[in-house]
Amino acid sequence: MKLFKPKSKASITISLLLAVIILSGCWDIRDINHRVLPVVVGISTTDDDLYKVFLKIPEPVEEMTKVKIVSGTGETISKAVDAISRNMESSVDLLHVKVIMIERKTAEEGVKDIIAGFMRSREVSSKALVTICDQDLNEFFSILSTKELHGTTMLDFFEKNAGWNAEIALTRVWEVYRSIHSYTRDVAIPLIAAGKTTTYEQIGSAVIKNGKMVEQISNDETLLFNAFKGESAHGQIEVLNHASVMIIGNNMHHHSELTEKQPFLQSRIKLKVVILETRGKTTSATIKKELSTLLTGRFAEMMAKLEESEADILGLGQFYRNKITRKELKNWRSEYYPNLKMDMQFEIDIQNEGYLRTT
Amino acid sequence: MEQLVQEIKSKLENNEDFLLQRDYLADTAIILLGFNTLVDFVKTRAVLQKHAESHLLQNRPPEDLWNAIGELIEGNVNKAISSIYEGKLIIHLADTDRSIIMEPVSTMLDRSIETPANENVIQGALNAFTEGIDANIGIVRKLVNSEELIMASYSTGQNRKKKLSLLYLEGQADTELLKNLESHIEKNIHQDISDLQGLAKMLGFPSWSAISKFNTTELPHHAVQYLKKGRVILFIDRLPFALILPSLLWDMFAIENDRNFPLPIMIAIRSIRIIGILITLITPGLYVALVSVNPEVLQIQLALSVAQSREGVPYPALVEIIFMLVILELILEASVRLPKSIGPTITMVGGIILGQAVVEAKLVSNLLIIILAATTIANSTIAGFQNAVSIRLFKYVIVILASIYGLLGLVSGLVIIGAYLAGLDTYGKSYLYINVKGNESNGR
Amino acid sequence: MADKSLHVMLMYIISHLGLIFFMYPGNIISSTSQGHWLPILVGILIHFIFIFIYMKGLSYFPKKDIIRIYSEVGKGTAILFIVPVFLYFSMILLITVRAYSEIITIVFLSETPLWAIMLLMISISAYIASKGVEVIFRTGLLLAILFLPIIIFIFFTSFQNVDWRYAIPFDANFGFLTKRTYYEGFFAFSGGFLFLGFVQPYLSYKRKHVLWAAAFLIPFFIFSVYVPVLTFGQATSSTTFLPYVVAVDAININWLMFDRVTMFFLLSLISFIMLFLALVSWKAIRILSHYLPSIRPVKLLIALSAAVFFSCFLIPDWKDVEKLFWWNTFLRFYVLVAIPLSIFFFGLRMKGKDSNETV
Repeated sequence: MKLFKPKSKASITISLLLAVIILSGCWDIRDINHRVLPVVVGISTTDDDLYKVFLKIPEPVEEMTKVKIVSGTGETISKAVDAISRNMESSVDLLHVKVIMIERKTAEEGVKDIIAGFMRSREVSSKALVTICDQDLNEFFSILSTKELHGTTMLDFFEKNAGWNAEIALTRVWEVYRSIHSYTRDVAIPLIAAGKTTTYEQIGSAVIKNGKMVEQISNDETLLFNAFKGESAHGQIEVLNHASVMIIGNNMHHHSELTEKQPFLQSRIKLKVVILETRGKTTSATIKKELSTLLTGRFAEMMAKLEESEADILGLGQFYRNKITRKELKNWRSEYYPNLKMDMQFEIDIQNEGYLRTT
Repeated sequence: MEQLVQEIKSKLENNEDFLLQRDYLADTAIILLGFNTLVDFVKTRAVLQKHAESHLLQNRPPEDLWNAIGELIEGNVNKAISSIYEGKLIIHLADTDRSIIMEPVSTMLDRSIETPANENVIQGALNAFTEGIDANIGIVRKLVNSEELIMASYSTGQNRKKKLSLLYLEGQADTELLKNLESHIEKNIHQDISDLQGLAKMLGFPSWSAISKFNTTELPHHAVQYLKKGRVILFIDRLPFALILPSLLWDMFAIENDRNFPLPIMIAIRSIRIIGILITLITPGLYVALVSVNPEVLQIQLALSVAQSREGVPYPALVEIIFMLVILELILEASVRLPKSIGPTITMVGGIILGQAVVEAKLVSNLLIIILAATTIANSTIAGFQNAVSIRLFKYVIVILASIYGLLGLVSGLVIIGAYLAGLDTYGKSYLYINVKGNESNGR
Repeated sequence: MADKSLHVMLMYIISHLGLIFFMYPGNIISSTSQGHWLPILVGILIHFIFIFIYMKGLSYFPKKDIIRIYSEVGKGTAILFIVPVFLYFSMILLITVRAYSEIITIVFLSETPLWAIMLLMISISAYIASKGVEVIFRTGLLLAILFLPIIIFIFFTSFQNVDWRYAIPFDANFGFLTKRTYYEGFFAFSGGFLFLGFVQPYLSYKRKHVLWAAAFLIPFFIFSVYVPVLTFGQATSSTTFLPYVVAVDAININWLMFDRVTMFFLLSLISFIMLFLALVSWKAIRILSHYLPSIRPVKLLIALSAAVFFSCFLIPDWKDVEKLFWWNTFLRFYVLVAIPLSIFFFGLRMKGKDSNETV
C-alpha cells in the first residue's frame, strides 16, 4: 500500500551522495589538533576599561602535556580572545574552558556582563567554574608559568572526584547567572591565589551579590556554607582545642516563620563526625559540646557579616517563598533579610572513634 | 542402427564421455546411452541384470520389466537428450521406437554431509547442508518429520536446467507470501538462477537493495527452526545452503542455536549482538564527529589525549578514517581470497605490523586504531555474513554525514538507515517484523 | 487490518516530544510569572478535549481519511477545511525547518551554514516521506527504540539541580490568557495530532491507546516548564531563550565519557523532529495529490520540499521566525478547534441520516 514508488531510487541516492560529497568541506571544519583548547580563562580589566584575557592552554608535547599561558586585550572578551587567536598558529576554541578566573578588582566592579556573555554564547559550557583571583592576574599567571604544570591542574583542584575539598565553594557559571537575576539567592565564589609551596591556595570565598563582590568569608565559613548547601562535607577536618574530627555526613531541618516583616528561622543541623585526633584528656561529651559552640559561634559571625552586606548566599529567602508574595520577594534582600533572626543549633553525633576508645 | 540412436549420437558425439553400449536384457537387445562421467555403468548394469533375473524367475513378460525400470518413451529425441544431460540413462530397445529413461547409479560427485564451513556452532547440531539438493531436502525431511512439510520443485533456466525447491510448513507459512513466491517463480521459470542475484531477479526483488532479501544458513537445524516460525526455505541445486524467506532484521541478532543456552544467557548474547551492530555503525562516525566538528562533547582529559595522538597527522579525520577503513576492508577481503594456510600471515602483517607502523609514522592517530579494531570486532558479532557485510557498508554513510554535520550527521545517518530498513519488505512482509507467523506482530 | 496502536502511540509521543522541549517552556515561562501549572494544565485540557472529539468524530468514518470525509460532504466544506489544513502544514514545515535549523546553529553547529542544515533536514524528511506512511511509522518504532531511552534518561537527570522551593508561590491567575506567547505555545499541542485523521485508511488504532500516549506526555509538558523554573527560578529562566536546554546544560555527570549531555538530548529530539517533518510532508502530499491526481506524488513531494527550502531563505532572522510563529497561531487555532469539531459534527449528521434512512 505504498503511496510512492520512485523508480529512479538509485539515481536519487547517487545524486544525493554526490551532493553530500561535494558539500563536505564547504565550510570551516577544524580538526581537534588544530584547535587550541584553553582550560582556564582569566579575566581582568585594564585601566582604560579594556578586558585583558589570559588563557591557560595545555599543549601536547611529545608524551606529556605542557602548559602555555597567553594573554590579549580587547573591548569585549571575545575580541580579546580573537586577538589571541590571530596571533597563534591554531585557532582558539573556548569549548573546553572549565574554570573562569576573574580578578578581584574586576569582580568588585561587577561581573554581570561577563557572566551573561558566557551564558549567551554556547561556546563556554555553563558548567564552568567561576573563581576570583585575589592577586593581580598578571602576577598570578606569571607565577603559574614558572611552575611545571600538568595540563588540567586547575581543573583537578576543583574536580569533585579529585582535588576538591569541602572548604572550597563550588560555583558554576549558571549559578552565578542565576544569582544575578534571582530575588532570593546569592553565591559564594572561591578566592584563589598562587600558593607558596602548593600551586594554588584558597584564601576564602568571595560573596557575590547582584554580580558584584561585596564581602569575603573565610575558609572555615565556606565549610559551613557548603554544609548548609548540602554539598557533602565529607572528608573535612575540623580542629578544636582538644581534638580534630572529620565530618562524614550532615542533615538539616529548618523551620521558618514570618511575623510582620520579621523573618525568623530555626535551623537544626545534625553533623555526623568521626574523631581523628585528640589532645590531652578529652571526652566525647566535651568534644560534642565544644564543636557545637564553636560552630554556632562561627555561624552567627558569618550571618552577621552576610546580613550586613545583604547577600543571601545561603538562599534563606527560599524558605520564605510561601510566606512572602512574589512582588514583595523582590525586596527580600533589602527589607527582610537584614532583619532575619536565626536560631542555629548544631547537634553532633560521634559515629565512631576509630580504633581507640575515648571515654 | 535405429534412427533414434543415430540422432542422439550425432548430437552428443562431440562429447568424449558419451557412451553408447550394446547389451542384452531379458533376452532383448538393448542399447545403453549416457555420460560415463555421470553414470556408473558397471554398477548400473549389475543392477539391471539383477532386475531382469528376478523378473525372469517369476516368469513375467518383458513389458512389465520395462515399466518397472523407468519411464517408457516413444521417439522423442529431445526428451531423451535432455534426460542424458540430467545424468539419466537411456535404455533403447533395439529394433523398436521405444526407450526407457532410467535413474542409474550415478558416480559420486557430491561431498558427504560435513560440518559447516562458514558458520560456527557452539553446543549444537553440527551437520551442514551440502551441494546436492536432494540430500538437503532429505536432511530437512528427517528433521521436520511431519506431514505438514510441503515441498515443491521447479526446473528452471532456458537451456541449462537448474533445480529449485520450495519448502514450507503447511499452516505455518504465510499464504500470501507463498502465492507471491509461486507466481513469480512460474512467471520467470526460464530465467537463469545460478546465483542469488539471478534468483532475486526471478523473484522480482529490487537489485539495488543493500540488504539481501535472503537469509542464508548452512545449518539444517536453523533452517528447520525458521520453517517452524512460518518462513519459507528455497534450495537451489549446487548451492550448499538454505535460503530463508523473508529475511528479517531480527535475524541479525538472533540465532536459533542461542536457545540451547539458558534464557538469561541467551538474552545477554543477543544484547551483545545489538551492542555490536550499534558500535559498528556509530563509532567510526563518532570519531569523525568528535574530532573534527564537535570536540566539546569530549571530556577535557579525553579531548587533550585525542588532540595529542592526532598531533602531526597531516589530513582531516574523514580522510584518515576512510584510508584506514579501506585498508581494513582490504585485509578482510584478502584473508577470504587466500588459502587457509597463508591467511594468518595476512592477519599478522595487516593487523599487527601495519597497525603499529601506521601509528608510529604518524599517518593516523592511535585512538583511531582502537576504534577500527572495536568496529571490526563488533561487526563480526552480527549473525549472518550477508548481514555483516551490509552493516559494514552502512557505516560509511554515517562516516560521511558525520564529517559534514558532526553529531547531527551521525544521528541523521541513523535516521536514514532506520528509514531504509523500515522501508524494506518482502512481498509486503516488513523487514522489521519479529516473526511472520500469524498476525503481523510489532517489534524490532 | 492489523492493529497498529503501538506504532500510532509511539508516533504520537515522538512527534510531540520533539515539539515540547524547545519553544514551549520559553513560551509558558514568559506568559506568566508564577503558578505555571495553570497555563500548562489549561493547555493539556484543551489538547485532551480536542483529540477526544477528533477521534470520536473520526470513528464515525472508519477507514476514511479527513480529505475524503470533507470531499464527500461537499465541495464548499472541502475548500473551507482542507485549504487551511494544507496551508497550516506548509507553514509548520517552513517554520519547523527554519526554527530548528536556527536552534541547531545556536546550540552546536555554529560554523555550519544554515542552508546546509536546512537541506539535511528537508532531504531526510522527504526521503522518509517518499516511502509512505507505513515506513514513517516503522521508522518511528526504530527511532523510539534507539533514542527514547536517552531522552528519558536525560529527562530524569535534568532534575539534578532542582530546588523544589522555586515552585512556590503556587497561586496562579488567568493573566496568561492575554499573553501572545501563551498562544504561541500551542504549537506543542496542535502540531502532531492531525495525523490521526490521515492514517485511518492505512493503520487502525484504538482510541484508548492514543489517549494513553497523550497521558504519557503530561509529565513532559509539566516538567519541561518546571525543570528550568526549579533550577533557575522564574526571574532567571525568563531571560533565557530555550530554558529547558539551558537547564539540561547545567547537568553535571562525572562518570559519563561525554561532557555535554545536552547534545545527545537535543540530537535525539531532532531525529524525532525529522520524522515529524516527514509525517507532515506526507500529509501535505496526500492533500495535494488528492486534488492533483495526474502528477506523481513523488514529484509533488520534491516540489513541496524545494518550495519549503527556498522559502526558508526568505526568513532572514529569528525575529521573522517569531512573526511567522505568531501569524501561524490563527491557523493553528483554526485547525485545533475547527477540524475536530467539524469532523465530529459531520459524523453525527451522517449517523443521524443513516438511522433516519433505516427507520
